Amino acid sequence: MTSFRIDGGTSINRDDVRQFSFNGEKLSGFGGDTVASALLANGKQLVGRSFKYHRPRGILTAGAAEPNALLTIGRDGRRDPNTRATMAELFDGLEARSQNCWPNVDFDIGAVNGVLGPILGAGFYYKTFMWPAAFWEKVYEPIIRKAAGLGRASYDPDPGYYEKCWAHCDLLVIGAGAAGLAAALTAGRAGARVIIADEGAQLGGGMRAERSMIDGKPADIFLGDVMGELISLPNVDIKSRTTIFANYDDGVFGGVERVQKHLPEAEINPNRAMERLWRIVAKHTILATGAEERPIVFGGNDRPGVMMAGAMRTYLNAYGVAPGKRVALFANNDQAYDTARDLEERGIEIAAIIDPRTCPDVGYHGSARHIAGAVVRDTAGRKGLKSITVRHDDGRDEVIAVDALAISGGYSPIVHLACHRGARPVWSDDHAGFMPPMDADGLTPVGAVSGVRGIVACFNAGANAACDALVGLGISARPALIGADVAGDHVNDPEAAGAQDTLPVWSVPSARGKAFVDFQNDVTASDINLAMREGYDHVELAKRYTTNGMATDQGKTSNVNAIGILAENKGVSPGDIGTTTFRPFYTPVSFGALVGASKGFEFQPVRKSPLHGWAARNGAKFVETGLWYRSSWFPKGGETFWRDSVDREVLNVRTNVGICDVSTLGKIEIFGADAAEFLNRVYCNAFLKLPVGKARYGLMLREDGFIYDDGTTSCLAENHYFMTTTTALAAGVLTHLEFCAQVLWPELDVRLASATDQWAQMAVAGPKARATLAKIIDDDLGNEAFPFLAAREVSLFGGKLRGRLFRISFSGELAYEIAVPAGYGSCVADAIMEAGKEFDIAPYGTEALGVMRIEKGHVTHAEINGTVTPADLGMGRMVSAKKDDFIGRVMNKREGLLDAARPLLVGIKPKSPSDRFATGSHILNVGADVRLENDQGYVTSTCHSPNLGHTIGLALIKGGPERYGEEVVIWNGLAGTHVTGVICNPAFVDPENEKLHA
Amino acid sequence: MSSLVKCPHCGLRPREEFTIRGEVPSPRPASDAPANAWFDHVYLRDNPRGEHREYWHHAGGCRRWLVLSRNTITHDISAVVDASTLKAGTKS
Amino acid sequence: MRDFLLHNVSPFPADETANGHGNMQIRALRDGFVFHLLGRSDTDTATVEKTIAAPIADLGGELRQLAPYQWFWVGNATLSQERVAEISAALPSMLALTDQTHGRVRLVVSGPQVRSVLAKGAMIDLADDVFAIGQSVMTQIGHIGAMITRTGDAEFEIMVLRSFAESLWHEIHQMAAEFN
Repeated sequence: MTSFRIDGGTSINRDDVRQFSFNGEKLSGFGGDTVASALLANGKQLVGRSFKYHRPRGILTAGAAEPNALLTIGRDGRRDPNTRATMAELFDGLEARSQNCWPNVDFDIGAVNGVLGPILGAGFYYKTFMWPAAFWEKVYEPIIRKAAGLGRASYDPDPGYYEKCWAHCDLLVIGAGAAGLAAALTAGRAGARVIIADEGAQLGGGMRAERSMIDGKPADIFLGDVMGELISLPNVDIKSRTTIFANYDDGVFGGVERVQKHLPEAEINPNRAMERLWRIVAKHTILATGAEERPIVFGGNDRPGVMMAGAMRTYLNAYGVAPGKRVALFANNDQAYDTARDLEERGIEIAAIIDPRTCPDVGYHGSARHIAGAVVRDTAGRKGLKSITVRHDDGRDEVIAVDALAISGGYSPIVHLACHRGARPVWSDDHAGFMPPMDADGLTPVGAVSGVRGIVACFNAGANAACDALVGLGISARPALIGADVAGDHVNDPEAAGAQDTLPVWSVPSARGKAFVDFQNDVTASDINLAMREGYDHVELAKRYTTNGMATDQGKTSNVNAIGILAENKGVSPGDIGTTTFRPFYTPVSFGALVGASKGFEFQPVRKSPLHGWAARNGAKFVETGLWYRSSWFPKGGETFWRDSVDREVLNVRTNVGICDVSTLGKIEIFGADAAEFLNRVYCNAFLKLPVGKARYGLMLREDGFIYDDGTTSCLAENHYFMTTTTALAAGVLTHLEFCAQVLWPELDVRLASATDQWAQMAVAGPKARATLAKIIDDDLGNEAFPFLAAREVSLFGGKLRGRLFRISFSGELAYEIAVPAGYGSCVADAIMEAGKEFDIAPYGTEALGVMRIEKGHVTHAEINGTVTPADLGMGRMVSAKKDDFIGRVMNKREGLLDAARPLLVGIKPKSPSDRFATGSHILNVGADVRLENDQGYVTSTCHSPNLGHTIGLALIKGGPERYGEEVVIWNGLAGTHVTGVICNPAFVDPENEKLHA
Repeated sequence: MSSLVKCPHCGLRPREEFTIRGEVPSPRPASDAPANAWFDHVYLRDNPRGEHREYWHHAGGCRRWLVLSRNTITHDISAVVDASTLKAGTKS
Repeated sequence: MRDFLLHNVSPFPADETANGHGNMQIRALRDGFVFHLLGRSDTDTATVEKTIAAPIADLGGELRQLAPYQWFWVGNATLSQERVAEISAALPSMLALTDQTHGRVRLVVSGPQVRSVLAKGAMIDLADDVFAIGQSVMTQIGHIGAMITRTGDAEFEIMVLRSFAESLWHEIHQMAAEFN
């Protein structure tokens, strides 16, 4: 290993050596390392290039807020761009690459942008890429896209499995630092259902970086003991590697658990989720998310080697990684001195401690040189830090050679989850930070997030908060007494916790060179000043104008400094500036997790008809209709072109007999003493006197007077009806009927049950339909016994089975629909095929059905498109004039709906049989210009009619049936074609319905 | 938007089980009511900022129509009742 | 045609036992009946129990309420269509019965991690002390509506619309796969 790896490290296992590669270079680290700690251990300070100026960047933090060290990890479908090196666990064989650099991270051509700095300031894109408009798509966007951007997503499908889960608890504890662990242990011991979630691989939070003895034990031993007790409690669910990223309404939290992202490919269980998206329903929540250390804004503060003081301490104590050989600390608060103390203890030279406070009383007794009242104004070093320039309080500059600089500008409570539902954080001068709104909606912030400082105080606060929360849930608890004794705890007096010791330095006035506020978006202090000068001084405007606080880190290290700079320049408190809006997600969540299992076959549920297997056996080609798979045609005898099959199926029905699966039609059983009255009110035509054993075609209107759906309803017995709907609106019609029954007329006794899935239903149509069915149905099917629109139960196979038979026809042929309990459907369909063999029966699909209904002028939702009335379809007489009330009665009589100029349903055919035309074409009078005011209507449906040998269509045309025989132009604007057509009767086949009644 | 809704019949359920129809309009007028009453019922909606009454259908559960009193700013739900109980109710 | 053999085809895939060997068992229930009972809007469960006391004593099964005034009467007996018609015809007008034996199909999921499996699709809290044996809910598993009934310590019955059976079957196997 290298000289940067030193002794110790509470999080790593030195027996577990792991090989990895960084930009192709083979390196090694230990189990427990993050990619960041392993890179630092290998002396890799430079890990990436910045977004805009392509400046060399290193690792700034040791956690979720990392703005710089974004790497692409993995390859092919498992490639994850923009992965924070500080959060990614090292595994054997891991491949990591730098982003946003070309040809490589050491020599990046884009760095020329750094020279252009003055041009690329705030609002650069808004100001530059304004005109000419034609340049936008062809010139500007490709350039911007190429220059900007972070990592690139993989084009390969991710082979990993992802899933979503629900979880429930009394108490959700977010964050497993001192406060969170004490809360979880308190609630766990009290028997409450507890979920404790932490984004880290190991619990402990900031304690992992602690060298103090806790309850007489080193931090890792102490944490191991606490963990052991939590694991032993069956009512406590420990979710490590789980980031709670959102606080949704009603106590529902969103989380993402990285279940297997930290494993080498060979160890991944393909049946386990790579990541799991949790929705956690919590009765109460303890927010123990801690606080984020803020950088200080000074010249060259982005140079690799500059690192947050707390992060440096974490790398040192948790990972055994030295940040450098000669280190300086630039801090404005007491807590940061812990880093100096620990560095010294580990024998790392501290060149200087620079503190802008004039006489800090920090209880620091180390040997390092202490420079009070001073700031760092600049840094030097090309790809890594070589020196810093200190501005003393007397205005004198001093250059100090260092290879690492720890910075600390104070602490920002991680308030995001307390603010996702709209509450705003509150500025506190005492804490020099924005504090969470307290105890809003069952959420208690506790520990560092609420300004509590010191481990002992956090343990106490967590335990007490859990007790209070449980009281509210009716569970009695006693505070778990852990961590009462912490040697050398910086603030071990709870009374002193939260005392003011941070002197905010929003930006160093004497800063030289670029002083970065937002590292990820390359926003400098001067960008924010420019935004102010140009009038974008509102915090939300400044964010968007400068891009401060955008992208993957959402300003975790930059927002408060930006607000501070705005406040300072306006001479107000940061509280007067306020924060931008906090929204989910707290940290980026992969698309894989958000998609979950809904991909491939599981993309959405598939609904299969009980006759699906039968249709498949008969060679059906299926088409998706909503969730349903419907058989659309049945190729036979070498047919390769779909229309060959469809034409044959149509002709076969018209001359012999065919069988079609209509099981997907919606079916609703309607019961109750007022069922007839109910039907009378939901259909526009009369239903009150529908006799038992009869079906009737019905039109359902919407309340605005237009047609909603059509279908047939049969009266099977007194107070028992059976309604069919179109496949498309099966769910919609049931919902509509439920609305009518429950909301509009709850006084009616009407009861609705969906029965779509109970029945396998087959249309048997064609001149030989009766002869076919007579072979399996025991009842008399003659015209007298079973006339058109008869509907009743029948016996099949000599009494072996009972089914429902309806004499209805969509094809216009002599036709029946037979319904049998779904499980028997396949057998019955086989039996019908067998019975019809001598008549050349053949199955037909939805395509043939569509052709036959157009040949008969029957409408579907191509015509019932939400803008048509019954009168538009020539069914005006169906609208009852006698009924007092039905849905749509009043609005259907509106002037506009009675207008004589409304387009009416007609048939349309080409003047020359060889001409074809398409659905959606518009109708123009012969000789008229193509102008909207000349529009006569449009074609709603078309097909090739094998009976007529040419294209036919249905259309809605002004003047309607009065214009039968008139020649018009059928204009297709999309294809740029037009043909001469003739308006005609929409019943192209058997207009007298002789076949229907045969 | 609320994440969980307490259905009076089924208890606490996720939003995904519900279909929202929108604001509860003025009650359905009688057939012979003036045209204005019908236009109000069919078309006019208030879309308020604050308290709002909406029809929610528990399509993924009991399939009952519910009336939610919901605050469009805070998303707090102050009441959920079965819509059949409001037949005589007037617009809020 | 009088020698025609009726075969009741299950909507669940034929290889149904293929994945049922590990910690988690998933099996289809092939027999039994599902009746949908629809009461007038003044009907309570006690009235329904009284109304069907005679046939339920004979056929067995249990009532599972799915909505106000609506119940599934689910049992494991195998009944003829004639028998169903008889039971239905004997009911008073305040209670309607519609046979959904073919429309709603059932499977059983069991095993120590059954709650973790179902939590991948259902929001309902199925914890041992929250959701008692015999309790039923009409809810959704993923995007599929289903009635979940606890039938044992670590055993749940799922009833689903027939057309969704294959998708649900596939999903539950996928959800359970990590435990097998």
